[in-house]
Amino acid sequence: MEKMKMMLVDDEERFLETTQKLLARKGYDVATAVSGPEALDKLQKENIHVVILDVKMPGMDGIATLKAIKNRYPLVEVIMLTGHATVESAVEGLKSGATDYLMKPTDMDDLIQKAEDAYAKRQVLEEKIRVAQARMAQRSALEILRDAKK
Amino acid sequence: MSENRYATLRRLILATMILVPAIPFYIVMGIGYYFFTQSIESSTVASMKRIVEDHRQMIETFLGERKSDLKMVAESYTFEELADPVYLFKVFNVLQNKSSAFVDLGVFNQEGIHVTYQGPYKLIGKDYGAEDWFKEVMKQGYYISDIFLGYRRVPHFIVAITREEPGKTWVLRATIDTQFFTQLVERVRIGKTGEAYILNEKGILQTQRRSGGALMDRDEDNVVGPARHDGIETFLKKNRKGEEFLYATTWLQDKKWLLVVRREEADAFKDVRSATLLIVIINAAVGLGIIAAAFYLTNTIVRRMEAIDTEKEQLGQQLVRASRLAELGEMAAGFAHEINNPLQIMTSEQALVDTIFSDMIQRGDLKESQDLADLKDSMAQIKLQIDRCAKITQAILKFGRQSEPVSKDIHLATFIPEVTAMIAKKASVNGIAVKEEISEQTPVVRGDPSLLQQVLLNLYNNAMDAILERRGTEGGELVVASGPDANGKVRISVTDNGMGISPENLKKVFSPFFTTKPVGKGTGLGLSVCYGIVDSMGGTMEVASERGVGTTFTIRLPAAP
Repeated sequence: MEKMKMMLVDDEERFLETTQKLLARKGYDVATAVSGPEALDKLQKENIHVVILDVKMPGMDGIATLKAIKNRYPLVEVIMLTGHATVESAVEGLKSGATDYLMKPTDMDDLIQKAEDAYAKRQVLEEKIRVAQARMAQRSALEILRDAKK
Repeated sequence: MSENRYATLRRLILATMILVPAIPFYIVMGIGYYFFTQSIESSTVASMKRIVEDHRQMIETFLGERKSDLKMVAESYTFEELADPVYLFKVFNVLQNKSSAFVDLGVFNQEGIHVTYQGPYKLIGKDYGAEDWFKEVMKQGYYISDIFLGYRRVPHFIVAITREEPGKTWVLRATIDTQFFTQLVERVRIGKTGEAYILNEKGILQTQRRSGGALMDRDEDNVVGPARHDGIETFLKKNRKGEEFLYATTWLQDKKWLLVVRREEADAFKDVRSATLLIVIINAAVGLGIIAAAFYLTNTIVRRMEAIDTEKEQLGQQLVRASRLAELGEMAAGFAHEINNPLQIMTSEQALVDTIFSDMIQRGDLKESQDLADLKDSMAQIKLQIDRCAKITQAILKFGRQSEPVSKDIHLATFIPEVTAMIAKKASVNGIAVKEEISEQTPVVRGDPSLLQQVLLNLYNNAMDAILERRGTEGGELVVASGPDANGKVRISVTDNGMGISPENLKKVFSPFFTTKPVGKGTGLGLSVCYGIVDSMGGTMEVASERGVGTTFTIRLPAAP
């Protein structure tokens, strides 16, 4: 099985640095981005499975970034990280395609758990795609045979 | 709003309210009074004039007839014929048949010797040549005497005329009983004091006067007659006692007698007097009524305006307070949000430190020791405190949340026990007995259940605090009751047997930021927020409390339609 690759997106650099170190120690491959555009840039370059995205960022905010990610990379799972207790922003994120949400300050174990869940969801999805594609290939072979019988 | 402004307003309204009805009323009353009195006075005077005129004509006719009777006798017979007593007797009888007023008849020669006489006295042969009346009749050819009382105490007067025959002049004289016209005059009666009488030119009474004055008495009132002999004079004059009379006078017998009709002024204008009195009373009553009504209305209006102004002012203050609260909520939410970011970093750091420790221990870089145990404990404490901060910021964010209130039917009979259940544990821990007196008939109300829950929980918590302060954890009692109230309202009350609220604090319990709790324990917003919630549901909230006995909060809400 492919190893999960995460990306943390937040305007707090120290948070990114520390969390990356921590997750690396726990054996995860983690990329970081301090803004929406940087995150999109890295998604293009690397194969990232799960993005943990802060809602409130200067410039391009979390919701806009989420929409852009989902638009370009529909298979990437996004977990919203909100500083607000209001569920409204989280709900808006979920409506726009986010997998889940976390509330600041979030416990690191929670963060890892939700990321794993999201990754598992993605694995299931990818598996389904593979099966579907395989069926398509099989059916094509049968169609060739049927055509040959005629 | 200044007191001065209200005073000016009050004066303005008062003046308008009094003057607008009063001016037309008094103008109408004044005009009415003027024409009424004019009419009464002129009709009173006219009626007196008419009486004078009628009586003058009757008396003049009577006297004229008697004179012409006498003249006819004198013209019809010669001196020689009438000097015969038998003949005179016959003539007298004829006269008496014509008018019983004739008392006697006599004939006098040129020297004034009484030649013949037909009557009750023995007067034949007496010489009247020196008498005034005889001289007068010889000079004028006609004489009419003043009225006098004869031997029979009956008023009389005499009439004498001359007759010229060739070579001699003789006189025919008759005595006439005046009863006919004196009675006519004396019987005149107008109102209470109206009377009539006759004076001669010297002011001697020729008839009896009802109000005093016998025949031949002198009238001291100096009544004057009209300038013309056939005119009628009316005037007001005071008698010697100061009583004012209304007079109507006219001359009789070519200014020889004066016919007087008079009536006391007070009596003549009695109707005017009583009407005047009535009008004065009505005017005074209406005036007082207008003033009283004006004062009452003005007071009502000004009080109402003051109340509206006060209400407006309070509403303004409430708005200011509400907007400040909203600002405060927003600010708090902003702070909480900002604090969450550093808290997140701290969480990550703490987690990293923990992981590093575990790794080092695993690799054997760190040995188990007291120091390591202390470090671990310290890190655990940091995690605990971060969680605590997170709880606080979340609570603040919840407080600052402003969501639209929902409106749905709340079934209080089930809703209240649900809310009460939330504090059941806290109450039992603190030894407080919670009693529910929820009537089955408690009507349904409309509102936001979470807001009403907030109100009830707030009241419960306040009640429990008050109980704990007074009794500790023993003997506390909290009663929540509900039921239908008058005017389609629902009553919910929360009663405790806690320490109670002092009267001066009782006035301020609903004021924002008012609290008796120690610093940091209460915000002073609870009851004011409750009050606002109940008010927004169209209800009212009251408090009754006695120090050392307990407190009851009563909420009245409109029942759902």
